[in-house]
Amino acid sequence: MAGRSSNPISVPSAAGDDGPQAGASVRAGAPVSAPISEGAPISEAEALARLAQSEDPSQQYYGAWWLGRMRSQHPEAVPLLRSALRQRRARDPGAGVEENAVARNAARALGKLAPLALAAVDDLLEVLEDPDDGLREAAARALGDLRAEAAVQPICRRLASGPQGAGALRPGTPRLMEPCEALLEALGEIGQGAEPVLAVVEPFVHHERPLIRSAAARALLQLSGEQRWGTLLVELLEHPQLQVRRAALMDLGAAGWRPALEPIRRTLAENSLKLMALRGLVERGTGEPAEPLLLACMDELL
Amino acid sequence: MTPTDLPPAEQTPTEQLVEAVRLADSSQALLLATRELAASGDPGAAQVLVEVLGFNNPGAAVAAVDGLIRLRGAAVEALLRLDAQNYGARAWAVRALAGIGDVRGLELLEEALGSDVAASVRRAAAKGLGSLELHHLSTAEQERILQRCLQALLAARGDGEWVVRYAVAVALETLAERLQSRGHSLQALLDGLDILTQPAEGNPPVVQLRARLAVERIQRP
Repeated sequence: MAGRSSNPISVPSAAGDDGPQAGASVRAGAPVSAPISEGAPISEAEALARLAQSEDPSQQYYGAWWLGRMRSQHPEAVPLLRSALRQRRARDPGAGVEENAVARNAARALGKLAPLALAAVDDLLEVLEDPDDGLREAAARALGDLRAEAAVQPICRRLASGPQGAGALRPGTPRLMEPCEALLEALGEIGQGAEPVLAVVEPFVHHERPLIRSAAARALLQLSGEQRWGTLLVELLEHPQLQVRRAALMDLGAAGWRPALEPIRRTLAENSLKLMALRGLVERGTGEPAEPLLLACMDELL
Repeated sequence: MTPTDLPPAEQTPTEQLVEAVRLADSSQALLLATRELAASGDPGAAQVLVEVLGFNNPGAAVAAVDGLIRLRGAAVEALLRLDAQNYGARAWAVRALAGIGDVRGLELLEEALGSDVAASVRRAAAKGLGSLELHHLSTAEQERILQRCLQALLAARGDGEWVVRYAVAVALETLAERLQSRGHSLQALLDGLDILTQPAEGNPPVVQLRARLAVERIQRP
């Protein structure tokens, strides 16, 4: 589901009942992206040209975002994004620009450009080993979006040390040693539920952070279809923090867990997010409650 | 409520609730006071509930919208008087007007559906345009308004956000019943829905499914 992109422009529908100006990211830990002025609409040729030049990184950043957002199928898009993936640039606090901003946005865009972007899987796997954890996060999400089975082993390797290792707090920062949420979610999206993969994911349902527990339960639900993981996500819909309830909504939607219809309807969160979750139940789920009931509930939330 | 309406001496229960909203000194206190005022159902609460929409407190704004919808027609004038510069407040007002369904909100709903930047606002406006209350109007006036709603909804079927198109499909279904009962041709409306049933790039299955359901229900004998 496209509902949790980390690009600020692609999440305005998350503003929901928080009021239209609250463009807040659905989850904490989403990278702080460079400020972008939407400005006048640009053409595909213009987006490619902005990405291709190297004078102005903010233009490259916008060009990369545009190509992903518009699902560009231009033959130049993927090659340009692959070379943008190699750009490294320190964070510029004054300009509010994140570290390796262009490379991160290139990774995000590649995630949206299947099937052409399958040519970039090896580049993304390389980036999955980068020292910048924000860049690893973007690469993991893209590999998940591309359903890149080649990523399962490398991702499992990064998570294998478990909640006490990969999931430990990075000293002096609010971040974890690994971008666990993105790595777990990617495993769920790729959908290879072999026993060793489940064994890597399962310890994370005991992580101290509820958002990590939610991501792990989502992946396990997607990989195994076992009800207990759906139950865990439904419990998180009652968490006192709005941010956790929002994440559980997105995760239930991503897994298409239809038994969650009533708890989704009842939880305290924006209708916009409930609608996104219910869309996931309709499109990704099967069985009961059936579609007429799901659609009737969506109609009420409009 | 204008100052001249104020009774001289003792405060009415509504005035006490209004005062509690005005004196609230934390966002939690504002939320609780707004909820109580909203529950009063007293038309005298409308003006203050509208003011709450501009306080940048989402919880309180949700409660205020609920209260304004409960007041129905009695809330409309205060909502329409709202300062056009306060974007956040106006977005909430659109939701309230969509929920109330009063024809005096028609213009604002049309404008919101066509050009508001927030998908959640356009979504609410679309739904509202399908369900305006018309029974108190002359037949000619009803016709005129239904056609305006139809045109606004048809124009929004190309909206960039799936959830807005979903709301358009729902609203077109509601509108169809009303046009049908007045003996109108539904061809333009069905053509509009047909586009939403297509698996085009960017049109997700859920929108196609909802639009097909609308078509089925409209064509059911």
